[in-house]
Amino acid sequence: MLASIPSAIVLGVDGYPVTVEVHVGVGLPGLTIVGLPDAACREARDRVRAAVMAAGVAWPSKKITINLAPSGTRKMGSGLDLAMAMGVLVANGDLTGEQAHGLGFLGELGLDGTVRAVPGIVPLVDAVECEAVVVPVSAAADAVLVEGPKVRPIKTLGELFRVLKGDEPWPDHEFVPRLPRVEAGLDLADVRGQPVVRRALEVAAAGAHHLLMVGPPGAGKTMLASRLPGLLPDLGREEAMEATRVHSAAGRSLHGGLVTRPPFRAPHHTATMVALVGGGTEAMRPGEVSLAHAGVLFLDELAEFAPTVLDALRQPLEEGVIRISRAKFAARLPARVLLVAAMNPCPCGEAARPGACRCPEGLLSRYRRRLSGPLLDRFDLRIDVLLPEVDQLLGGEPGEPSAVVAARVRVARDRAVLRGVRANAFLTGPALERWAPLAPDARDLLATVLRTGRLSARGLARIRRVALTLADLAGYEGPLTAGQVGTALQLRADVAGVQGVAA
Amino acid sequence: MTGTPPGSPTLSGSEREVAHLVALCSLPGLGPATLLRCHRGGGAEAAWAAIVAGRPLQAPELAPLFRRLPDEARTKLLAAARTIDPAKELARHRTDPFEVHVLGDTRYPARLVDDPAPPALLFSSGCIAALDAPSVAVVGTRNATRLGLEFATRLGLELADAGVAVVSGLALGIDGAAHRGVLGTAERADLNGEPDHPAELALEHNPHGQPVGVIASGLDIAYPRRHAALHTQVAQAGLLLSETPLGLRPSGWRFPARNRIIAGLSDAVVVVESRSAGGSMLTAGEALDRGVPVGAVPGHPTAPAATGTNDLLFDGAHLVRSVDDILEVIGLSRPTPDRNRLTVERLDREHRLVLEVLGQLPAALPEIMERSGLSLERVSEVLVHLEAKGTVVRSGGWFQRSGGRRG
Repeated sequence: MLASIPSAIVLGVDGYPVTVEVHVGVGLPGLTIVGLPDAACREARDRVRAAVMAAGVAWPSKKITINLAPSGTRKMGSGLDLAMAMGVLVANGDLTGEQAHGLGFLGELGLDGTVRAVPGIVPLVDAVECEAVVVPVSAAADAVLVEGPKVRPIKTLGELFRVLKGDEPWPDHEFVPRLPRVEAGLDLADVRGQPVVRRALEVAAAGAHHLLMVGPPGAGKTMLASRLPGLLPDLGREEAMEATRVHSAAGRSLHGGLVTRPPFRAPHHTATMVALVGGGTEAMRPGEVSLAHAGVLFLDELAEFAPTVLDALRQPLEEGVIRISRAKFAARLPARVLLVAAMNPCPCGEAARPGACRCPEGLLSRYRRRLSGPLLDRFDLRIDVLLPEVDQLLGGEPGEPSAVVAARVRVARDRAVLRGVRANAFLTGPALERWAPLAPDARDLLATVLRTGRLSARGLARIRRVALTLADLAGYEGPLTAGQVGTALQLRADVAGVQGVAA
Repeated sequence: MTGTPPGSPTLSGSEREVAHLVALCSLPGLGPATLLRCHRGGGAEAAWAAIVAGRPLQAPELAPLFRRLPDEARTKLLAAARTIDPAKELARHRTDPFEVHVLGDTRYPARLVDDPAPPALLFSSGCIAALDAPSVAVVGTRNATRLGLEFATRLGLELADAGVAVVSGLALGIDGAAHRGVLGTAERADLNGEPDHPAELALEHNPHGQPVGVIASGLDIAYPRRHAALHTQVAQAGLLLSETPLGLRPSGWRFPARNRIIAGLSDAVVVVESRSAGGSMLTAGEALDRGVPVGAVPGHPTAPAATGTNDLLFDGAHLVRSVDDILEVIGLSRPTPDRNRLTVERLDREHRLVLEVLGQLPAALPEIMERSGLSLERVSEVLVHLEAKGTVVRSGGWFQRSGGRRG
């Protein structure tokens, strides 16, 4: 007897349909799985056998062959367990093909027949080719986020067997989505003083300009960066779906909701290249950059990251996707992030104050060489964060709250959308020329700076984008003024500790 | 006994003394003081013979050294002596472009002859006549501030313009900056030195001062390596001096010893920036021991790089605000009117306001905004202008008025 059951696997952040074919026939009793299963997948043999018996069905003492089609693709993990068990039941005649018709199955089996959740339920449900999909109860809340097949939550294999037999109706398991805690408290109003840094954050949020903050320890770089997501607008439906798939594929619980707020990821500086850009195992798990997709990637202590790891970020920053290729397969992971980085001006952290640095010259020059010019060039905004003044720490006016700034950011983003881009940082060539004309005094100012040789042609385009964002935030129409261009220049300075890369 | 050189008979009497001095100074553990005692006492050849014979105490000049030398170092020294051939050692130190100068010789720097601790032997590369001009040492910390470096470069440039040789140690920071200033003028003289240029004719009576570098390593070793190019340039444009034999990297004790030569060679020592425990303070101390005037550049009381110089000023060093203050100390005055003096520029109100709030101390953008009451846009635009003009320099988020322009 033969059975053919639809299921799916996940590779990178995308699901791929898999058909589980089961043949039960004469021969020495045993179970063989073919179609490139990996270790976890091959171990399904023992889980499936125990689970079927726990469901109260006798295990056929026949020769059982399971083929995972397409057989050329490697199958990872335990998500095909449930489909294999159903295949065995149908192929052995315990269930008829009619009873399982139109159903897809996703989930791992316990030895007692429990159906357990697997990572990537969102892309999996998206990929499986069927009318209704049976999923573990614990994953049901995430599964219903997909506009696709009807979702049938189930607790155990025994329960599923009885339902398909017609002994019981489909159970009505409750899968109340646990709503994510509303993250309150990270408000820009907590930041006292620091008018320049506040402005830089606002510009970064409004124009999607990458931001590098250089400052001594204790200047509040991390505190400032963590307030950036609060300034960003909610994700659109398409972006939210992309982000949701990434988070699901990485095995993070979605708390039963789409990822609608921009994510904030802050990997530690010991992160490996695989942890940051993804890949590694054959499952092509998304890395931190992909997890920060449509949100903020914050790299604290930028200079402490391994230089090779940082340079691996250059391509994703440019293209918004990571393409990982291995000998047998390739994955394409979304990676459109707003990069925010922080670093000390020197190893002792004091170089920002003239003459206060205690670092030996050799150490200092090694530290400065850690960041490659091309990576530094990706930052449209490069600012020095200085220690706040004492009277600002003790009291001082609370700053503008995040909500007010976020409203301005939304307006600026809407203006960018009218120009045909997501944000000003994506404006290039002719579009930039068209949307960011320069007033005569701004032209003079830029000419002066260009003559000093500290601004390159590429730097010029970046300055114009930032100046345009400044104009958008001010609700200003018309050619860019010298004030806006000057501010853009100050916000993209040759910051302390970072060697003079042409702006 | 293979140490007795078979080639020695070819050398004349005074040459033999030089060769044996060079050989002695190449021995590990034998310092400038012992060398000087040998030279002034029974002669280097006698001392060398005693060492090679393995009975150093026979030479009374060597006795103080060998009595305190631990056994191990003593064995090492005696072993090294057997491998050295004085005639060959001398020839090696005389290969082009190196030259050997012995105390008492006519080509030995005159200023060091009456020094309380003169080097018996000096190796040079370059033009020894550079020392005939008035000379000023410009020294300071390796960890200098940007303003300090700028000031040192400017001093170097203007001293050279006034025909003063600039002595320094080729260290990172102030030392290097001062010599770069001197070399800057040298380049300019090359470019504009055509005789049909009337303005330059006046300078013929007043040739440019040359850079004089006194280093702690052998002349063929560039230390610090980052200054390898500067090392070559100084040797070409002026003079490089050392009492360390060729091929040796500097040991720690050689730096203070080198400082005494810097002090001895100079008509005045100027410390641009130094911490209270910096090596430049030792140079200043050596200068005081020799009655060489010491000048110091004042710094802000809270600036760590200025603690040493401010201490010197408190103790009565000459105040150095510009090159004129130094020239006055050594009894020279500037030959030409200040060519760099600027016409007072007409600045608009905002420019003046920003410059006013900047004062002489560095300030960050938020402070400038707060003190001037101007918006970020206004301050930014003005600062870009001022920076482009060089009136204001930015370093690590701090803006300060450039050291080059005052008033």
